[in-house]
Amino acid sequence: MTQVNEPILRLSGVSKRFPGVLAVDGISLDVAPGEMLALAGENGAGKSSLIRLLAGIHRPDSGEMRLAGQIYAPQTPLDAIRAGVRVVHQEFNLLPALSVAENLLFEHLPRRRLGPIGGIVDRREMDRRAEALLARVGLDEVGPRTPVERLGIAQKQLVEIARALSGDLSSGGRVLVLDEPTATLTPREAGRLFEQIRLLKASGMTMLYVSHHLAEIFALCDRVAVLRNGALVDTMRTADTEPAALVGSMIGRTLATQAPIGGGTPGAPALSVRGLRPRGSPEDGALDFAVREGEIVGLAGLVGAGRTEAVRAIFGADPAIAGTIERDGKPVRIRSPRDAVDAGICLLTENRKEEGLVLPMAARVNTTLARLKLVSRFGWLRPAAERAETRRLAKDLATKITGPEQPVIELSGGNQQKIVLAKWLMGDKARVLMLDEPTRGIDVGAKAEIYALLGQLAQEGRAILVVSSELPELTHLCDRILVLSRGVLAGEVARPDFSEERILSLAYSRYTQAHWQTH
Amino acid sequence: MDRRTFLAGIGAAGVLSLPASAAWAQLKKPVVGLVMKSLANEFFKNMQEGALRHVEERGDCTLIPLGIQSETDIDGQIALVENLITRKVDAIVIAPADSRALISPLVRAAKAGIKLVNIDVLLDANALKKHHVEIVFVGPDNKEGAKMSADVLAKALGAGGKVVILEGNPGAANGVQRKEGFMESIAQYKLDLLDSRTAHWETEEANTVFSNMLTAHPDIQGVMAGNDDMAIGVVKAIEAAGKKGQIKVIGFDGIAAIQPLIKNGEVLATVDQFGAQLAADGIDAAMKEIGGQTLTGWVKTPMKLETAATI
Amino acid sequence: MSSSSSATVRRILREAGIGLALLAMIVFFAAAAPDFSTHENISNILTQITINLILATGMTFAILIGGIDLSVGAVMALCAVVAGRLLTLDGMSEPLAVALGVAGSLAVGMGCGAANGWISSFWGIPSFIVTLGMLNIARGGALQVTNARTIYDFPDSFNAFGTATVLGVPVMFVIALVLLGLGWLVLTRTVFGRMIYAIGNNEEAVRLSGHRPLLTKVLAFTVTGLFVGIAAIVYMARLTIANPILGVGFELNAIAAVIIGGTSLSGGRGSLIGTLLGAAIIGVLANGLILMGVSDFIRQIVTGVVIILAVVLDSYRARLARG
Repeated sequence: MTQVNEPILRLSGVSKRFPGVLAVDGISLDVAPGEMLALAGENGAGKSSLIRLLAGIHRPDSGEMRLAGQIYAPQTPLDAIRAGVRVVHQEFNLLPALSVAENLLFEHLPRRRLGPIGGIVDRREMDRRAEALLARVGLDEVGPRTPVERLGIAQKQLVEIARALSGDLSSGGRVLVLDEPTATLTPREAGRLFEQIRLLKASGMTMLYVSHHLAEIFALCDRVAVLRNGALVDTMRTADTEPAALVGSMIGRTLATQAPIGGGTPGAPALSVRGLRPRGSPEDGALDFAVREGEIVGLAGLVGAGRTEAVRAIFGADPAIAGTIERDGKPVRIRSPRDAVDAGICLLTENRKEEGLVLPMAARVNTTLARLKLVSRFGWLRPAAERAETRRLAKDLATKITGPEQPVIELSGGNQQKIVLAKWLMGDKARVLMLDEPTRGIDVGAKAEIYALLGQLAQEGRAILVVSSELPELTHLCDRILVLSRGVLAGEVARPDFSEERILSLAYSRYTQAHWQTH
Repeated sequence: MDRRTFLAGIGAAGVLSLPASAAWAQLKKPVVGLVMKSLANEFFKNMQEGALRHVEERGDCTLIPLGIQSETDIDGQIALVENLITRKVDAIVIAPADSRALISPLVRAAKAGIKLVNIDVLLDANALKKHHVEIVFVGPDNKEGAKMSADVLAKALGAGGKVVILEGNPGAANGVQRKEGFMESIAQYKLDLLDSRTAHWETEEANTVFSNMLTAHPDIQGVMAGNDDMAIGVVKAIEAAGKKGQIKVIGFDGIAAIQPLIKNGEVLATVDQFGAQLAADGIDAAMKEIGGQTLTGWVKTPMKLETAATI
Repeated sequence: MSSSSSATVRRILREAGIGLALLAMIVFFAAAAPDFSTHENISNILTQITINLILATGMTFAILIGGIDLSVGAVMALCAVVAGRLLTLDGMSEPLAVALGVAGSLAVGMGCGAANGWISSFWGIPSFIVTLGMLNIARGGALQVTNARTIYDFPDSFNAFGTATVLGVPVMFVIALVLLGLGWLVLTRTVFGRMIYAIGNNEEAVRLSGHRPLLTKVLAFTVTGLFVGIAAIVYMARLTIANPILGVGFELNAIAAVIIGGTSLSGGRGSLIGTLLGAAIIGVLANGLILMGVSDFIRQIVTGVVIILAVVLDSYRARLARG
């Protein structure tokens, strides 16, 4: 060991129990100063719970944490920040109505000394500092006074990281925890982020890094700690291991080499989109495409290319400017999600917590939410039928729930996503399945399960449209990929021609064009 | 020409374009503002209607009747007075929502040359004196009226009779005066006062509060209610407790809904202050002042004791 | 222990907490005021909480769906005076007049409720504001209908119902309890009830699951209005009058009962069992303090303290339950 310093962070036998589950099971772990340690593990392995203990959101039931030798027992997130532990969570903690600058500098707004009440916010100074922070995460295209609610998800993620960095300027951050920072980012944005992470690492910052992207772990981290069912099962140096071994350690078995999924024999077009212009689409952005029965079609593009807008418009979640939708060759009028659901079209939205689930309510309630007619008679619910359906679907999808009454807020991301899927699959009415970032924040094991499930659903004759920012996901899953660029359908790539270069060049095509036009 | 005289000019032009005789008649007639409390209250509604009828009969003045949203909307009433000052009325007849808060806008009105008449609730005499303003009071003696009503009860019960009081809104002048009247009667006839609580002038609350009083003091023989609305609530509570005829009740105001209860003996007495007449008397006083007389002191208006014998 | 039963245990604990507070209060008053535990007084308390219980039952629907109804007191006055007018129409047989009066009250209540729900949901205006407007409309309407006069002289059969008892329990309270039971069934056993809870928690997720929240929201407010109409009838039968200024401030008592009962003001969490306990706490407190001879002003202060205490306790319990 070259490391002679005592560890900056030491966990000794830390445990945390939540109702029905031992989320963190006696973890002992040392992190050396300046080290970059990855936390890896499947869905529900305990990574998020461990981070919540570090962040002061929850308190351990037993065990001890030490920070630079001192007992570290944060009672609140503020305690953690004061002690120098900054966490960038998967969920955003931004105030949507406030500007980017205000969010970044919320804890320490620059004040003008000579204000009449001695505490006028110095907007110019605030903008200057905010711009500097934004530059550190490569977000120069965002103005500091833009309200956060107008940003895309990827931009919000970067602002969140920038905010954690703002702490290290003034409060002397010692440990930075990044929880799935790239889950929502395009490769270009992720690349920018990695540069910043490397700079921070070079400056001696200690970092904990949680990601499902094994490539990132191997590229950035010194060491990786593997969690399984709440317990620490292994730590390894990234230099001494390789992805297959890490995955094996994570899931406790070796993963078969991934064969492409793809659908069944394509049948007649189940969903045809003609001249669709979603909200905010450009004048020449009318979309025309079809998804056939038994087919898995990908929708690729950069963040802001209009993929989410397109599926939301098809689903009737947002009004479209123009366009018609056909189901099985017959035009259908879709003005609300209800019309879409009646036509057998469903959508897994990109924010499952905000838009897909009623988080505080039971698995049973969420599973039956879209198909209440099937578990009711004359408006009266049949609780026994509800519970039976919930159990059946949980079994079919291998959803880990303690029972139909468990609130979905207690479930891990992957299991929550399976509940959303169960909601749509119940009653076998969904013939066209649209999924927006279906595996965001979901671990390798659950991802593979969801892929297999989608393949099976396609085999059964459903038409499937997948939006994803992860190209490997699309190339693994789809029969063909549609590529959007700045709201325009830039091209289509069939499985034999799949290559990252081909798809990316299409995704960027409109941006380089625009570049030529404006200069 | 500044803006105000300009506007006045337009106004004058408008008036002149009317047929001359009508315009003159309109201009000559003195304008009296009548400021009441809540028109949601039957008493003031009666007062307003009586005033309008009276002015029509008189035919020599124009009436602007105004009311506020609720009994306690003191701010609103001050605004009404200020509006009337701006409109340069000749006289204001007011039933103040508060005996002190209204004094300062009324002093301003007096300084603007507006004749003032105080009705219903007496303005605070000391505060008026401080501002060297005298305002004639035309109104009933709430205290005396309350005593008249309470005396009927006291005589029926005899010395040592056990009674409770239901008060109006705490702090309201008429409520306070009525309670004083009740207390005087209690002292004079040596009644035994068991409890005194507010029911905020309300029927339902009186019903609830009284049933609870009755539980605490099952030997209650008589009830003095600050108004008839509360008396009705008390009567219903007595019925519900199965003590109909065993407990005697008196009220105040003489609203229509109390009449049948007096007739069948469930309420012994109430006092009619003739709300309609009150405003009319106030307007008469105001017209006298406009005519040059100076009125001072208290012009007492008649009250009538209502019992089964008088209805 | 399975999580389903542990969730049930936690829910029971939450409501039991309010129940325990009520029990403690009853024990205290029984010891401090000798008349408190008499049969007559208990019957009195039941009568006294009836109207608030009915209003609070309706209010629970509005609050669970994430709204609030500030107009219930004023709408109750409008219902009462409309029903009063119909009850006292000349030349009608008694049963017909009563039927007409009851129907009128319910119709006015539901109409106002539906208007509240539709205006606030369709235009996305907070129900707080819409119902504040409705408060003024209904109050003004009631004054207009009656010209500020009190209506009385209802048919005897109608008035008799106000003081009727069954096995020593006021009939009106029994009715209120039955209504609460029906409301509980609707909230827990029907698709409509499920939608109310789901919308109260996450309206967007419900919309994106293929539902039209608008309809459910309008219906929830209509239910609130229906209960207001029923409360107006109970009021009239109990006091044998209808006047346009009745019910001032009743909305605040109803909201207090719902909140003390552990229903979240932000919607989606709570139950009618809690509302029943909340209304009982308010009623027992008012009654007990008078029996103890506590003065009016102190009584008001104590009531305020108890409301705050109940909500603080509830949030403390919720935090404990979350762990």
